[in-house]
Amino acid sequence: MKKIMDSPDSKSEFKLGRKLKTGARAVVTLTSFLGPALSVMGIVILYPIVEGARLSLFSYKLTRPSDVGFSWFDNYNYMISDAVFWEAMQNTFVFTGCVVGISCLVGLIMALLLQRPLIIFKFLRGIVLIPWVIPGIVIGYLFLYMFDFEIGIINNMLVQSGLIRKALPWLADRELAMVAIIIAHVWNQTPFFLLMFTAGLMSIPEEALEAAYLEGSSSWQEFRYVVFAYLKKIMVIATLLMVIRNFNNFPVIYAMTGGGPSFSTTTAVIYIYRVAFERFDIGYASAIGTIWVLILLTLSIIYTRFLKDEF
Amino acid sequence: MAASLLIAAILTIFIIWTFFPIYWMFSTSIKSALEVFNISPELFPKNPTLEHYYALDKGSIKVSVFLKNSIITGLGTVILAMFLALFAGYALSRFRFRMKKFISLGILTTQMFPLVVLLIPLYLLYKRLNLLNSYIGLILSFTSFTLPFSIWMLKGFIDSIPIELEESAIIDGCSKLQILFHIVTPLIVPGLVATMVFAFLDAWNNLLFPLMLVTRPSMKTLPPGMVLAFAGEFKHNWGGMMATSVIVSLPVVVVFVTMQKYLVQGLTAGAVKG
Repeated sequence: MKKIMDSPDSKSEFKLGRKLKTGARAVVTLTSFLGPALSVMGIVILYPIVEGARLSLFSYKLTRPSDVGFSWFDNYNYMISDAVFWEAMQNTFVFTGCVVGISCLVGLIMALLLQRPLIIFKFLRGIVLIPWVIPGIVIGYLFLYMFDFEIGIINNMLVQSGLIRKALPWLADRELAMVAIIIAHVWNQTPFFLLMFTAGLMSIPEEALEAAYLEGSSSWQEFRYVVFAYLKKIMVIATLLMVIRNFNNFPVIYAMTGGGPSFSTTTAVIYIYRVAFERFDIGYASAIGTIWVLILLTLSIIYTRFLKDEF
Repeated sequence: MAASLLIAAILTIFIIWTFFPIYWMFSTSIKSALEVFNISPELFPKNPTLEHYYALDKGSIKVSVFLKNSIITGLGTVILAMFLALFAGYALSRFRFRMKKFISLGILTTQMFPLVVLLIPLYLLYKRLNLLNSYIGLILSFTSFTLPFSIWMLKGFIDSIPIELEESAIIDGCSKLQILFHIVTPLIVPGLVATMVFAFLDAWNNLLFPLMLVTRPSMKTLPPGMVLAFAGEFKHNWGGMMATSVIVSLPVVVVFVTMQKYLVQGLTAGAVKG
């Protein structure tokens, strides 16, 4: 039973009847405040994860509904020898590493350049965030259109400017498709880093910068020691958050390539989706899902550790 | 001089890179069908037309139906998420109880889980509970994913209110509910606005839940509706696709630009300061 200690009425402690009553009331209050939110999250998030872990121990294919049976760790054994699973893992890391790395770097540079007290820069800082709020499915279709082989504006511009001789089959080529989905996500996520770094830069006290000036430090040294010291924490937190985000990213890739050609842009979550809804292998999809949840759980524990230091 | 020219050049490139795709979406949506398929596309539409927008409601798949579903589920999510997050955020900020830390961090962790993993068990559960193809089912699923962030954000806002205000209200004999609605709520309006906007954006943008939990086309929201509308033979209907994209993006961009002050405040309170 949960115990509440903020009872306003501490004098009643020796009156047993009264104490029980306040205690019970406090539990009711707590349950009615916290209960509804926790039950919604329990039903939609927690239950499916536990149930998914259970299903991962079954041989369960929708194509053969009569053949459902407990199969111990068969799905996990299959995973280890499944080359596509490892390809998907590799894709996830390459994709996430490139997207987060590039977005973070560009976001930092732009935040520093836009860090001027002019109205125009304030205005710009506001509207450059727009790509970040565009829905994923729209980003996917927009870049699908722009990367189109025949009428896409990207091929058109590259050919006209003489950078390439012939149109590139962006989404039909294994490597180029990966480059294309990375570009689309960088476009979407750079503004987030820009926002975070701008907030971080604003929290640097004037005195810290002035002190650096008085000591006659050059611009780079000032940046290296003063600004970077303040931005480091935000950088770690924003980067971790975005790594987790990209590990789970679905709509843009789904709309642009669907994970293809073959499996070249299939990340972990796209693979789970394809196994479940193209191969209808519920047991195996659940096994990959369970492993993926464990990986994300580890990451988010690290993330919350960093957040806790902020308190 | 050379340095500021370089900075100006970098900024210009960045601004073009940021806004060109959005411009391209819009300008394609008002080009005639003939112009859209021009092998060397024009930067500016020659004969602007709204034909793609009108066409969205002519076929067997009507985008206005998706729009209606998105608005209903979006508003439902906003209302539900705000109430649940307000109560839970208050409890986590002010009550003291066992396992509080565990529950707080647990809530924060759930927002990291991949949606795809939940789909199969959730589909089976919704089928049993008769929640497939229902607004309530969608609102519940959207709400659960927007709650972790909302709760943490509101907890952060409530933490920053001096507790003395509430203590004097307790002495005056106010109940917890009265305190929450008469003292706390008016002080965290920016947080509530941010919660509502984020809840709306989350619901509006969600693709996977309505893609799997809604099988009837007439109940689909905009993102899965787009998948439905531009699959197969309509895959290269770029004009229609971009017109729909504008419709899906416009409310989000308008809400974001007008509410930005609150959002940035909420975002940095929730994501950075915890």
